[in-house]
Order: sequence, then structure tokens, then C-alpha cells
Amino acid sequence: MKSILGGLGRKKLPDYITDNISEDLIRLEDLVKVYDTGALKVLGLKRINLTIHRGEFVAIMGQSGSGKSTLMNILGCLDRPSMGHYYLDGVDVAAMDSDELSLIRNRKIGFVFQSFNLISRTSALKNVELPMTYARKNKKLREERARQLLARVGLGKRAEHMPNELSGGQRQRVAIARALANEPPLLLADEPTGNLDTAASVEIMELFSQLHKEGTTVVVVTHEEEIAAFTERIIRFRDGEVLSDSPNVPREPRGRDSAPDAEEGIELRDT
Amino acid sequence: MLWENMLMAFSAIRVNKMRSFLTMLGIIIGIGSVISIVSIGDTMKSVFEGLYREIGVTQAYLMIGYWVDDRRQSDFFTLDDMARIKELFGDEIAYMDSNAYASADALYGRNKVKFSFDGIDYNYPDVQKINLVHGRFLNEGDILGRRKNVVMDTVSAQNLFGEENAVGKTFRTTLYGNVDEYTVVGIYRKEISPFQAMMMGANEEGGEAYVPYTLLTWPNDYFYAVRLFAADEAQMDELYQNIKIFVAKSKGRKPEDFRMNTVQDEMGSVNGMLGGMAMAVGGIAAISLLVGGIGIMNIMLVSVTERTREIGIRKSLGARTKDIMIQFLTESAIISACGGMIGTLLGGGLVMIGGSMMGITAVIRPGVVALAVGFSAVVGLFFGIYPASKAAKKDPIEALRYE
Repeated sequence: MKSILGGLGRKKLPDYITDNISEDLIRLEDLVKVYDTGALKVLGLKRINLTIHRGEFVAIMGQSGSGKSTLMNILGCLDRPSMGHYYLDGVDVAAMDSDELSLIRNRKIGFVFQSFNLISRTSALKNVELPMTYARKNKKLREERARQLLARVGLGKRAEHMPNELSGGQRQRVAIARALANEPPLLLADEPTGNLDTAASVEIMELFSQLHKEGTTVVVVTHEEEIAAFTERIIRFRDGEVLSDSPNVPREPRGRDSAPDAEEGIELRDT
Repeated sequence: MLWENMLMAFSAIRVNKMRSFLTMLGIIIGIGSVISIVSIGDTMKSVFEGLYREIGVTQAYLMIGYWVDDRRQSDFFTLDDMARIKELFGDEIAYMDSNAYASADALYGRNKVKFSFDGIDYNYPDVQKINLVHGRFLNEGDILGRRKNVVMDTVSAQNLFGEENAVGKTFRTTLYGNVDEYTVVGIYRKEISPFQAMMMGANEEGGEAYVPYTLLTWPNDYFYAVRLFAADEAQMDELYQNIKIFVAKSKGRKPEDFRMNTVQDEMGSVNGMLGGMAMAVGGIAAISLLVGGIGIMNIMLVSVTERTREIGIRKSLGARTKDIMIQFLTESAIISACGGMIGTLLGGGLVMIGGSMMGITAVIRPGVVALAVGFSAVVGLFFGIYPASKAAKKDPIEALRYE
């Protein structure tokens, strides 16, 4: 991992990018998030202490307003905590500036959103290439890897399609391929099946399971029990606090022959 | 990365073709007018230069300065002065006459045509291109013998005699109170471009003729100016200075009291005036570039707002402030530079079409074109800064939530 990341940029990357020192991929220490709305201060997260190890498959659950979205934003380095520490891969990102956080997001985190968030009028291939573009990888390498990733999520033949020519499930698979582009240690999915029907939801979750089995740390934020059922650990939030944190026996993935996209199938290969 | 940004910019422009075009329109018009105005100026310069070349750039007139208050009769010239100058400077002077001219009605049968007579020496064709088509030019004998012979152009001959080849024909005219018969000995053809005709007016009714200067300037006459053509263009400044010194001395004056009006100086001042005018009008046209730039800023602001979500996505994928900034700056610069290029084609094309219609070669300097396109890109960059920084500063969470 280190060698791959170290060889990405033309310039030498800062230590917080190249160092991979921690078995604890995510460690939150007394993490507090306060929203200052002017007249009153709202406590979004109340002293969270949480550790997620490398290679875990975790669901973060809670009703809206429980603080799970706030946590998701902080875990994704889109937002900074008000107090406390967030060690991502052993590095405290709580005090980083926005450009440092961009670099962290680029190299360490792969996002999967509820609304897919593909860039419109841009081919699946170009969408998958984007994180690598921001990582300054050369064009040939980018395209090669993007095609590999699309093939891996079962969209090898749809690389040139525009997002609006793809179904919801397919779009989400493009998004997953994109999230994997820079081989980040953490895959962060925010309600990844919220806009999908049941069949597509199952398909996406199975893909996550597969990625998890291959060693990626997957954190899924959801409010659906059926989705959480795929994971191995469920952390429940309420009112900005951890309500419970318990292991889960994941639901068995279905056999390959029942895959809904039979034409292409979902090929999951070792990288 | 720059290439990536350019591709992104082009695809963004393609997506909103009509809007992009309308945004460019300000720059197109601005650059188009700047290019055409500057090129018209340059073309005029080259046309005037051509005209002056035809008149003869070595030509000059020597006369007493208008600023001299105590002018005496001796400040003016006589044929003796001319003879002395000729004696001293010899071959350095290609041609010299007394700059004499007169107008009078020429009568042929019942025809009466207003003519202007230009008094010249026999070697005038040495310094002026005269395309003789019939007969001969005035010769030394005509000059020395004060023969009443004339050479006129085809149009004048047509006007007076009703035919082009009027060699041998005579007409009557009154010069200095004497009614005399004059004989046409030669006919030449004037070649003027449509533009020249437009600038100077075609001679459709009147007539022009060359007569021996000795008919218009008599030995005891004082005349105002001496017309000179230096033999060598490279040496002419020095020659004219020396002539001025010599003439001033012989008339008991300082050299500064005499004025040497050269065609070259005149050409310089006309060029300067044309250049100044083109600059001034071009400058005004450049203001429209400012308006175009504001149009770009306006549309880029709209575009940034519309693409808030895209900005959020890009940021979540690792785009830094700089990356977003450069993306939008590239887009506005490209819109503007495209406008600049289209404007250049339009402006340059118009000048070329106009030029070919008037029969003149349009002058479009590559430097001006490069400057215009470069400047339009700078306008795009400048007016793109505010929208781009607005885009770059967007908070990723807010931007991702934007519908």
C-alpha cells in the first residue's frame, strides 16, 4: 500500500499520506461537534469514542437527527470536529486545513453516496478516472485502471455510457468503482441503497461484502436494518451518542447465478 | 492537468452551446472591432505610403518660413537662384523646378474645359512615373525655347478634344493675360486605383497638362518655392540641409528661417495621425471588451451556482481549492479566447473583403492578432477570478447537499 501511494504524485507527498502505521484505521477520541446557529448552539455529537479496525465491515445506524450524518461528514473529512481527535490511519486529521483534507479524501477515502453523485454528461470511465486525475496520475494509467475497475463492478461494457444512460444500480456501481480508484483504505458509504430498489440494493451490498472480503474497510451509514444486516458490526446512534455497538452475523450472500444483471454478471476478481 | 481542464472546459462549453456563444458575443464584437479598426488604420497607412511613394519620397519644397515676419523680396526665388543651386549641387539633385502652376480655361472649337497647368522641366519623367501612350514628352528644346507645347493625360484629352489621341491638336488658353495657341505633343495614361480615385476624386470634367516651367516663370519673376527631388534617398536629409544653408547664406538669412517641406515628413505626420486615430478608436472599442468580460463573469457566476453539486462531488473526490479554481478559470479563459479568435476572423475577414472591394491590400499584422487573442484570454482570466474563487471556496458538505 505504501509503495503504491508513494509513487502516485510527482511531488513528494506529506508524511500523513504515505505513513500507514495504525491497525486502527479510525480512532475517535472525545469527539465533539457543535453547530453554532448563531442564537443557539446545537450539540451534534457528544464526546464520541470509537475505534474501527482495518478490514472491518461496519454499519452506522440511527434515525435522522441521531448524529450519524454528522459523524459521516467528519469520518469523510468533509467536516472538522469542534473538539477531540480523529485519527485516520494513525494521523490526526481534526486540525487539518481544507487542502490537506482534500488530499486525505483523495488518497484515504472512497465515497459512495445515496444519490450516486456522478458528474453528469461525463462518461462512466471519466467519472472513475476523476480521483486519479486529482491524484495527478498519468492518463494511460488512469484509463487502464478505470476500465479494470468498471469491469470489476460488472460494467466493463458500459465504460463510455453517460450516467443518464445507466440504471440506478449501475450508477451506484460506477460510483463504487470511482470510490476504489485510488485504492483507499476506507470505503465510506452514505445510505448507498437509499435510491435503489430491493434487487439493486442487495446487489450493491453484496459488492460491498465482496470488497470487504478482499480487505477493504467498509463503513456504511444507513437507517435500514436489512442493509445493516449485511455487515459484521452495527453501531447505533441516538441523539449524538453511541447507543449500542455490537457484532453482527452477516446475511449470507446469494449465489452468483441469481445475479440480476445476468448479461454481464458481477465479476469480482482479485486485484 | 491543464489539458484535462481544457477538455473539461470544452465539454462544458459544448453542453451550453447557445449560452456559451452569447457569452462570447461581447468578446467577439469587442475583438472584432479592435482588429478591424487597427487593421483599417494599418491599411490606410500602407495606402498612403504607396501614394507618397508615387509622389516621390525624395520630393521637397524649399521656401521662406511662414514664421519670418520681415520678409523681403529677396527671400523669394528667381531662376538665377535655381541655376546657382544646380551649379553647386549638380548630380545630387535629380530634378528641380519653380513649382509653378496656373489654371485657365482651355478652348477647342466650342469646347471649354477648365485646365490646370503644371510647369515642369524636361527631365520630370526621371522622378515621376509617366506612362506615355502617344507622342513624346516635353524635351529640352521645349523648355529652353519656351515652346507652347503641352503633354496631357488621356482623360483630359478626352474631355477637351473628344478623343484620346490628340497629339498634334491645338487649343487656346489664356496664361498671364496672353491668349495663345498650345499644341499637344504627348498623351500619357494615369493609373489610379479605385481607392485613390475615391480619396482624390476622379477627374471627370476638368483637365490637367504639363507645360514647360519656363512658360510660367520668367527670368525676372520671383516665386515662392523651389521644388526639388534628391537623387539619393539615403543622402537626402543631408543634401536638403546643405541646400538650406547655402540658400540662407546667399539671401543673408539664417538656415532656420527657411523651411524644407519634405514629403517624407508629411508622410510621417500622416502616419502618426492615422496611427493615433486607430489607437484612439481602437481604445474605445476595447471598452466593449470590458463589457464582454463582465458578461463572462456574469455567466460564470450562474454556471458556478448551477454546478454547485459538481463542485461538491469534485471536492469530495479530492479536488483542492486550486484545482477547482483552475478548472473555472480555464473555462472562462477559453470562452473568452474562443470569442477572441472568432472576433479576429470576423474583423480581419471584414477588412479583407472591404479592402478587396476597394482594390487595396488589407494589412493585418500578426502581432495585432496575437495581442488581441491574448488580451481576450486575459480578459477571460481576469473576469473569471471572482466566479472561480467563489466556486473554489464552496463548502463541500453544503455543495453536496445542493439541489
